[in-house]
Parts: sequence; structure tokens; C-alpha cells
Amino acid sequence: MQKFFSLILALLFLAPATLLAQTPTVDDLQQQLNDLTDRLERAERHVATDRITWYGDLRGKVDSLHYQDLTWNPGINADFTDFFMKVGSGELGALNVFDGSGNFNPGLSQGSALDTMFVNLANNDPAQFQGLMQAMGAMQQNGTMPGIGAFRLATAPKSSDLDNDILYTTRLRLGMKAKVADKINFSGRLSMYKNWGDSTGVKVFDSWNAFTMDGSNGGATSGDWLRVERAYFDWKDMGGSKFYLSIGRRPSTYGSPSNYRENELRGGTPSGAMMHFAFDGITVGYKLGEVTGIEGQVVRFCYGQGFESQWGNGEMFNDAGTANLEDTHVGGFNIDLYNDGYSLVQLTAFRAMDVNDGFKGTFAFPTQYGALFAPTLYRDMQKFPNFNFVTRYTPSTVIGDINLAGVNFERVEENGFTWFGAVGMTQLESNGKAGMFGGMGNDAVYQATLTSDASEVYMTPVKAMDDQTNEGYGVYVGIQTPAPMGKLGLEYNFGSKYWTPFTQGQDDAIGSKLATRGHVGEAYYIVEFNKNTFLKVGGLYYDYQYTGSGSPVGAPLKVEDVKDGKAFSLMPVVDTAWDAYASLTVKF
Amino acid sequence: MKLFKLLTVLLVVTCAATLVMAAEGGNSRKGKYLFKKSCKPCHVSGAEGGELTPLKKTQKQWDRFFTDDKHKSKPEALENFSDQDLKDINQFLFDHAVDSDQPETCG
Repeated sequence: MQKFFSLILALLFLAPATLLAQTPTVDDLQQQLNDLTDRLERAERHVATDRITWYGDLRGKVDSLHYQDLTWNPGINADFTDFFMKVGSGELGALNVFDGSGNFNPGLSQGSALDTMFVNLANNDPAQFQGLMQAMGAMQQNGTMPGIGAFRLATAPKSSDLDNDILYTTRLRLGMKAKVADKINFSGRLSMYKNWGDSTGVKVFDSWNAFTMDGSNGGATSGDWLRVERAYFDWKDMGGSKFYLSIGRRPSTYGSPSNYRENELRGGTPSGAMMHFAFDGITVGYKLGEVTGIEGQVVRFCYGQGFESQWGNGEMFNDAGTANLEDTHVGGFNIDLYNDGYSLVQLTAFRAMDVNDGFKGTFAFPTQYGALFAPTLYRDMQKFPNFNFVTRYTPSTVIGDINLAGVNFERVEENGFTWFGAVGMTQLESNGKAGMFGGMGNDAVYQATLTSDASEVYMTPVKAMDDQTNEGYGVYVGIQTPAPMGKLGLEYNFGSKYWTPFTQGQDDAIGSKLATRGHVGEAYYIVEFNKNTFLKVGGLYYDYQYTGSGSPVGAPLKVEDVKDGKAFSLMPVVDTAWDAYASLTVKF
Repeated sequence: MKLFKLLTVLLVVTCAATLVMAAEGGNSRKGKYLFKKSCKPCHVSGAEGGELTPLKKTQKQWDRFFTDDKHKSKPEALENFSDQDLKDINQFLFDHAVDSDQPETCG
């Protein structure tokens, strides 16, 4: 017992001494405080001066692209009555290749524009020449007006398959956020999307997808330029109200439900099924949910400008080049009816007013168009068939208005299973006018014109085939489910003959799948290595029913009719195509 | 029609794959409900706890709150929650923290 008490006593003496030895002094604590203050001041200084928060993602992707029955059968609708009247009146110059009995004799040619035209046609397309002669004879003898008819520019459709086994692309997106003031924030995103080995920024114009333009720059490979995909500010709770204001280059791409295939959260405000297009504009939103009690309910009025008709178009010449153009304004409502983060119901109703026959953009001029439309140019171009001069396209005239309406829905179940659907309607209102590629959902009517030096007869678009309004419908459904190591997704979409959403900014290599006038199926598997790194492997299958997917310009034609030579398209037409892809994305 | 058959087969495979999944950890959706129901009454502007949203902290800060801090300014506030409840709330706050992925919409 004595030993025990002795031990306790010893411990009692030793313990304070040990503790005192480990307890820092006031000076030590002061020194530590000074050190911490110094470090904190550096951090504060960094936070105060580092005004932008950066984040981003980098995607490397390989696509294997395969097109079946890729057909090119160029042709136009020509006003034959007008042509024969002009020939008769001499408006198109002298015609010497017919003898006194009205028989064609190329030996009589004196090289006038009409002589050359008839001789070339007789040599290059005898069948069409004979048809033209019969129509001219019927008009002279019986007064039968030939009216408007197809005039083919190739003797037969050229149809073949095309395989691009490997297409590599890199997409870099750098997001920015900054706090401006208590209720005002800035957001932005810089984006580069390029295919490997190409930084020209332009493509040879063989499809609408090959057009480098404002609205689809983020989704079309356009070189190693870092473009401003979005840049806008939000001013929330304005004046203590439930209104917010947002101005700038809009977050109008990757919206719901198209974000699931990107393996990211809702990437834009408008419906991804209806709109995937970079816009410059204004949004005024009202948080209606704070009044109705319905979670996430927001009513937004959006306004934007899709085309500037004067500035930059050579308007100072103040001539016919810009006389028929108008600014294109887009306005409408984008309403989140319900949004609790797991379920979203969204309504869309938009109208694009004074749509022109295209946008401003750049492309490399195809030699093939030189051969069709510019014989003088082609005389030299054919010596340099792979030299494609870069040109800036400006549309020529207002062709009408477009209305869009739709509803989209998504739901994430508790086990992570996600399902979604969207239906939409687009309405193309033609005003009866047309440019080179046609009017609003409408083909152009061409009339013969003589060049100013009387050396050539060329065809110029004068009007659309009609001024009717046409409706198109689209459906988009899909699921995404948790699967071993990641997610599995299945999607399907269909677009009818006149389906024309603003989704051209989708970065699908073959073309915006949601703009397809036909069927598209997609299956993919996402393997998530960690929360910031994932591999996506999948495939897309396109079955085009009508031509012109993604463009309001020109009449949608049955793909089968183009293949059979019954219909004509200035652009190559794809029947079916598939794209097997794999991508690795890192987020940071 | 081949496309539809292919999609049907893939749909069946997908649904089968879903069944083998099992959730682990907190349930963010339940956490959101609990946070709104039990935390928000004190954590709105002007209330006792002041305004609090998931965006007020980083993911690591929220984790530390539940492992270390445990609402030390008022520990009894957590007494009525089960361990699973706290895990659910933690998951919700973590998923929507200031450094989490956010929807890229305006407003």
C-alpha cells in the first residue's frame, strides 16, 4: 500500500512538470497567431484579387463515321415560260443555233450566250435538251405554257457510300464565374472544338454542318480558336422583387434533357430538345414559384438577335446587296413549370421574326459549285481542284418567320434511373421569297438572266415555289440508368418532314441528331473512373427520311426521291449513317 | 424496324442492370426534404440561425461540419436526427455545395 501511495505521489509531482513542459507560452501562442494572421492575410489578398473562378472540362473523342447512299443530284426549279418568253423577245441576246425551219444546228452558233447554252446542253444532257425542245415547240405551236419545272444540273444522281473510319476531335471548355455585387454575378464559357490536324476554322461547304457561323460555333469544329460560347451577367432579386435580368451571350446550349448524354447537369436554360444554339440576347425571369409555392417554378421571357441585316454586310454601299435583308429577332417564353432538382417540366414557345435565307458565316467554296454555276470561274478553278477560296456568306432576302413550341420532361428516380421525353412543333411561315438555296421550307424558282456583258445566261432565284405555312413535329425520349462502374443510356428521336428546331449547335459529328428529319437511335455506356473523369462509348444511327435537316431554307424532299433522281438537291443528301464513338472527358 | 428491335433489347438489358444497383451512404433527395423541413425554419434570413444554403460551404467544409463541428453553436439542434438522417442531410449539402457541379442556367 505504501508503495502504491508513493507511486501516486510521484506521478502527482511529475505530471504538472510534464504538462508545463508541453504547454506553449503566451509568447509562443502570440507568435503562432502572428504566423496565422500573416498566412490569412495572404489568402485574403489572393481571394480579393482573384476575381474570376475558373473551371472547365476537356474531351478527347474518336468517331467512326459511315454514310450509306450518300447522293448528290443537283438541280433547280426553272421558270420555263419566262425563259422562252425572254428568248422570244431577245432579252437573253441573239439565238443563232436554229435554222429557218426551227431545227437545231450547232454549226450556226456565233458564240452568243444563248448559242453556248443550247450547244452545251445538247452535248452534255441530250435527253434534257430534247425535253426543252419539245416544250418550246408546244409553246410555239399550241400556246402551251411549260410553267415551272425541274432542271437537272447533273445527268444522273451520283450515289455512293462514304466511310471515315477515324475522326479525332478535342473539345476544351473553360467556365468562368465572378461575383460582381451582392445580387449580381457574371458567368462565361470559352470554348474550343477542333478536329485533329485542322485549325483553318472553315470547311468546304458540302452540308449545312460545314458552315462556320455564330450560332453553332461551339458545336462545329472550327479550329484552335478559343471562342466565347457564353458571357452574361445575372442580376437577381431586382429591387427586392422576384424578377431577375440577364444580358449577354446566352447559356442556350446543352439544355434539358440533352444534358444526360453529356454526363453533366442541365447545361443551359432553354429546352435542349428545341434549342441548342448560341444566342446573344436578354432574359427577364420571374420566380413565380415563390408566389405559387411550386418548387423551382420560373417564368422567363427571352429575347435575342440571330442576324444583323446591315452592320458588316457592306451596307454603306446601300444597294441591292442588303436591300432585302432585315434583322432577325427571336422572342418567346421559356417556363420551368416545376423543378425540384429531380423532376423538371418545361414549356417553350418562341417566334423568330424576319428569318433570312441563311446566316452570316464562312466556308470554303466547293469547286463542284464552280462547275455548276460559275463556268468562267471554273475555267481556272479546275486547274486547282483542291484550292477552295474562303468566302463570307451573307444571305440575300427575308424568307419568312418560324414558330417553335414544345414541352419537355425529365425525372430522376431515387435509384438514379432517369427517364425523359420531349415533344415539339415547329412552324415555317414562308413569305414567298427565296434565295439561292430556297425559301422558308420551300424551294426557289429560278429565272434566266443575261450577264451585264451579254456573255452568259445564268439562273437567278426570284421567288419561292409558294408562300404556304408548314408544320413539323419532333419527339425525343431517353433513359439513363446506373450500371456497373457508371451509366447506361438509350435515346431515340424522330423529326417529321418540316421539323426545324434550333439545335444546329449540337456537336454530333454527322449533324445535330435532334434536328434530324427522320429517326435517330443512340446507345452509350459511361464508365466513371472518379467524379471528374469518365469514358463514354456509344453509337448513333441516323435514318434520314427528308432532306435539309437543321435548315429552314429549302423544301424537305424525300431522300428516296433524290436517290431515284425524281428530286434534286444542291447539297449532298445522306440516307442512313452511323457513328461509333468513344470519348474521355476530364473535368477540373 | 431493326433499329426498334435493337432499342428494345437494349431497354431490357438496361432495366435488368438497374436492379443490381444498390445505394450507399446518404440519400440526397431525403436529405433535401429533411433540410427544408427541419433546418430551414431556423436558417432563413432574419431567423435565429441566419440564412443558410448548401452554397455557403464547400464539400469538405460540409463533411467537417458533420464529423467535427456537429453544430457546436447549438448541439441540441441535431439531437432529434438519426444517424441516417444526418447522413442524408450531409449528402444533400455535399451534392449542392459551392464547389459542386451546378446547373448552367441563367438567373
